[in-house]
Amino acid sequence: MSPEAIIDGLFAGSVYALVALALAIVFQPTRIMNFAQGEVLILGAAVAYQIVALEKMGWAVALVVTIVAAALMGVLMERMIMLPVRLSGSRYAWIIATLAAALIFQSLFNLGYFDVDALRPDPVIAGGFEIAGVSVEWQELLAIVVALAVMAGYDLFLRRSVYGRAIRATAHSSDTSVLMGIPVQRIVVISFVIAAVITAVAGLLAAPVIFIAPATGLIFTIKGFTAAVIGGVGSPRGALIGGMIVGLLDTVVRSVVGGTVGNFAVFAALAVILIVFPSGLFGKPMEAH
Amino acid sequence: MATAESAPAERAGSMFDTELYHRVRTVAMGTLVVISIAVLLMWPAITDYYSYNASYYNGIVASAAISAILTISLNLSMGYGGMLSMLHSGLQLAGGYATAYVVVKASGSWLLGVVASVGVGVLVAALVLLVSLRATYLYFGMITLAANLIVIEIGREWESVTGGIVGLSGVAPKLGDEPMSKQVFYYVVLGALVLAYIVQRNIVRSGVGRAAMAVRESSDTASAMGISPARAKLLLFSICGGIAGLSGALYALQLGFINPDVGLLDNGIIFFVGLFLGGISTLVGPVIGVGFIAVLVELIKDQARYTTLVLGVLLLLAMMVIPRGVVGTWKASRAGRDRVSDPGDETLPEEVPDVVPEVRDADPGVPALEGIGLVKHFGGVHAVDGVDIKIMPGTVHGIIGPNGSGKSTLVSCLTRYHRIDSGKVMIFGEEAAQAPHRVAAAGVTRVFQVPHLFERVSVLDNVLTGMRMQETYTWLGATLRSPAYRRQDRAERAEALELLAFAGLASRADWLASSLSHGQKRLLEVVRAVATRPKVLILDEPATGLTSDELDALARLCRTLRERGLAVVLIEHNVDFVMGLCDEITVVESGKVIERGDPERVQNSPAVLEAYLGHPELIEETA
Repeated sequence: MSPEAIIDGLFAGSVYALVALALAIVFQPTRIMNFAQGEVLILGAAVAYQIVALEKMGWAVALVVTIVAAALMGVLMERMIMLPVRLSGSRYAWIIATLAAALIFQSLFNLGYFDVDALRPDPVIAGGFEIAGVSVEWQELLAIVVALAVMAGYDLFLRRSVYGRAIRATAHSSDTSVLMGIPVQRIVVISFVIAAVITAVAGLLAAPVIFIAPATGLIFTIKGFTAAVIGGVGSPRGALIGGMIVGLLDTVVRSVVGGTVGNFAVFAALAVILIVFPSGLFGKPMEAH
Repeated sequence: MATAESAPAERAGSMFDTELYHRVRTVAMGTLVVISIAVLLMWPAITDYYSYNASYYNGIVASAAISAILTISLNLSMGYGGMLSMLHSGLQLAGGYATAYVVVKASGSWLLGVVASVGVGVLVAALVLLVSLRATYLYFGMITLAANLIVIEIGREWESVTGGIVGLSGVAPKLGDEPMSKQVFYYVVLGALVLAYIVQRNIVRSGVGRAAMAVRESSDTASAMGISPARAKLLLFSICGGIAGLSGALYALQLGFINPDVGLLDNGIIFFVGLFLGGISTLVGPVIGVGFIAVLVELIKDQARYTTLVLGVLLLLAMMVIPRGVVGTWKASRAGRDRVSDPGDETLPEEVPDVVPEVRDADPGVPALEGIGLVKHFGGVHAVDGVDIKIMPGTVHGIIGPNGSGKSTLVSCLTRYHRIDSGKVMIFGEEAAQAPHRVAAAGVTRVFQVPHLFERVSVLDNVLTGMRMQETYTWLGATLRSPAYRRQDRAERAEALELLAFAGLASRADWLASSLSHGQKRLLEVVRAVATRPKVLILDEPATGLTSDELDALARLCRTLRERGLAVVLIEHNVDFVMGLCDEITVVESGKVIERGDPERVQNSPAVLEAYLGHPELIEETA
C-alpha cells in the first residue's frame, strides 16, 4: 500500500462526505433519502467538462454556471419528488419518486454525453507537490479543503442563523414547525437547493481526478449514503467522518487487494454497521417511515 | 349548486351499484381474462402466422413474463409484507448464476438448475432477513440495498463460479438430448408465471398471508394475536426469494447468459415501475404493470435511447394521477369497486355461540395472570414501582387510576411488551415467556388503547387474522390448498361469522375495517381478540368514545366471557362502567397499588378518594 492511496482516500472521502451532507440536508426536513442526489454530482462534472474541456472558458465560469444550474436542478428536483410524494400517500412514495427522478436525470445525461466515457476536465490547479516523500495533487488538496470549509460553514449556518434554527426545528417535527409559523414548504425547497449546490460543487471538484461517467450517479448516491449512515444522518461532522471512512476503506482496500474489492469492502461495512449499530456510529437513530 | 352537481353523481352511483352492472362487469372481466389467456397460449402460433420474426415477438412476451414473476415476488415482499426490498435484482442475479453454473459448468440438467436457483434465492433472502431482523422499515431497505451490491460484487469477483465481469453464456435448456426450442420454452415460462401467481394468491388469501399483513400493519398487534413477527417475515421473504430465484433461472435460460449487470439497481428499477404502475398490494397489478411496460418499450423501440427517460416520467406521472396503480385505482373507483352488503338492523342472538371460548379446567385457586413485584422505570420515571396483581379466572378485574398512574405500562409489563426491570409474570402458575407473541400463545390477549385494526382489509379478515394461532396448516398446504387447509379455512370462516353475528357486525363482514364507525371498530377489536381464544383478555380503555348502546354490547360481551370462565381485565376511566361490571378492582397511583378489592370497598377507600380528588382535609378546608 502506498501513502498516495491514503491521500486518494481522503480526496474521495471528501467527495463522499459532501454527498453525505447533501443527503442529510434533504433528509432532515423531508424524511426522504434522495436517490437522485448523485445525479447532481454528475451535473457538476458535466458542467466542468462542458465549459472547461470543450468550451475552454475557465474554472470561474464553470463554478458560476454550476451553482446556478445546480440551484435550478434543486428546485426542479423538489417539484419532481415532493409533488408525487404528497399526492401519492403510499409509504413507498419517496423511494419510487426519487428513483424515478434519478432515472430521468441519468437518461438525460446519457443522452447528452452518450459518446463520452468519463467527464474529465483539466484540473483547476495542475500538478502537485511533494511532502515527506508523498506526492499530492493540488486538485486533491483543493477538494479536501473545500469539503472542510463547506462542512464548517454549514455547521455554522445550522447553529447560528435563523434559517438554520428553522431547519433544525423542521427536522424535529414538521407539523409542529408549521404551527410555530415556520414556512416548512420554503425550508424544504431551500434544503433541496443547498443540497444540490453542495453536491454539484463536489462533482466539479471530483471530475478532474475521479472517473465519473454520465450514468454513474446512483453509485455516488449509494457511497454518499453509506457515509451518511456510518456518520449518523444529521450532523455535518458525522458526514465528514463517514465520508472519510468510506473513501479510505474504498481506496486502501483497493490498493492492497486490487480490483473492485474496494466496493465490496464498503458495502460489507455498510451492511455490518446497519446490522450492529442501527443508528449509525455517531448519530441519533434515523426515525422515519 | 351543490344539489345540481350531486344529482348526476348519485344517478351514476346507482347505475354502478345495480346488480345488473355487476353481473355485466363480471362477465366482461371474465371474458377479458379468457381472451388474454387464449392469446398468450396461442402466441407462438399467432406470431408464426403473421410475422417473419416470430422468435423476436415470442421472446418479448417470455421476457415480460419473467419480469412479471420477479415483480410478483417484489409485490409479496413490499405490498403484502411491508418489507422494502432493493435486493430483488440481486436475487434474480443469484438465481441466474445458480442455473448457469449447473447447466454450463456442471453440465447438469436445466431443471436441476431451476431447483438450485430457487434454493439459492431462498437462502440469500433468508440470510439477509435474519441478519436484519432488528432493522425497521427504512433501514431494512438500506440493508437489502447493501446486500444487493454485495451480491453483484461477489458475481464480479468469484470468477470460477460466476465467470467474473463477462459472466456465463451458453445457458440453454435441453429437451432430452436436443436443445429445447424457444417455442417450447415459452410455455415453460408461461407455466412458471402461472405458478408464481398461484403461490402469491393462495399465500395472500391464507393465514400465512394474513399474518404477514398483520405484521406489516403493526408488529405489536400481530404479536398480541400470537403471531411471531420474525417468523412471519422470514417465511414470506424466503418465499419471495424462491420466486425471485425462479425468475433468475428463467432469465438465464431465456437469454442464454447471465452477468453481474443483471443485478444492478438501474435494471431493477423497471420492476418497481411495473409494480407501482399496475398497483402494489393487488394480485394482478404486477402482471398488468409489467405487461404495460413491455408494450410501451416495444412501441418506442425505434427511439430506444429514450426508453429510460419515458419510463421515469411515466412513473412520476402515474404516482400523481393513479397513486394506487391501474388495478388499485380501478378497485377504488365507482365503476370498479366491489359490492358490499347493506348493513342490516341486527338483532343480537340470545344464545351464546359455541365459538366463544370457554375455560373450564382451570384450577380456581391459581390466578390466571399474576404479576409479582413488577418494576419498570423509564429513566427517572417510576412508571411501575413494585406492583403485585392477581387476576383470577372467571372474573372481571378492573384496573383504574388517574392519568399517568402507570396502568397501561403495567399491562405492557404483564404481556411482555416492556422488558421489566424486576419481578415476575405468571400465567396459570407458570412463568410467562419473554416474547409478547408467546404470552399471547399462552392465552393472554390484549386490546390496545389506541385502535389497532387492520384498516385495509375486510372486517371478516380482521377476525380471521385473530385465529392464526389455531391454524395448523403449513405455507405449502396453503399454497397447494390441501384438504386440511380447506377444512380449516371453511371452519374458520364460519366461526368468524358467528362471532361477528354475536357482536352485531355480521352484516358488515365484507366491509373494509376502515369504513366502520369508531364504536364498531372497538367492538371489532374485541371480537378479533376473542377469536384468538384467550383465557385472559385485557382491554385497555375499551369504553372510550362508545355510545350507550355500544357500552351495553361491550358489557354484555364481558359478562358472557366471565360466565365462560375467562378472566377479563378492564382498564377504564368510565367509573360507572367499571363499578357495574367488575368483581375486583385494583387502583394504581404513581406506579403503586393503593387499593384493591370489590367495587364497594374501592369506592369508599380514603386512599382512592385522595388519589382522584386530592387530600380530603384540604378539600374541606377550602370548602
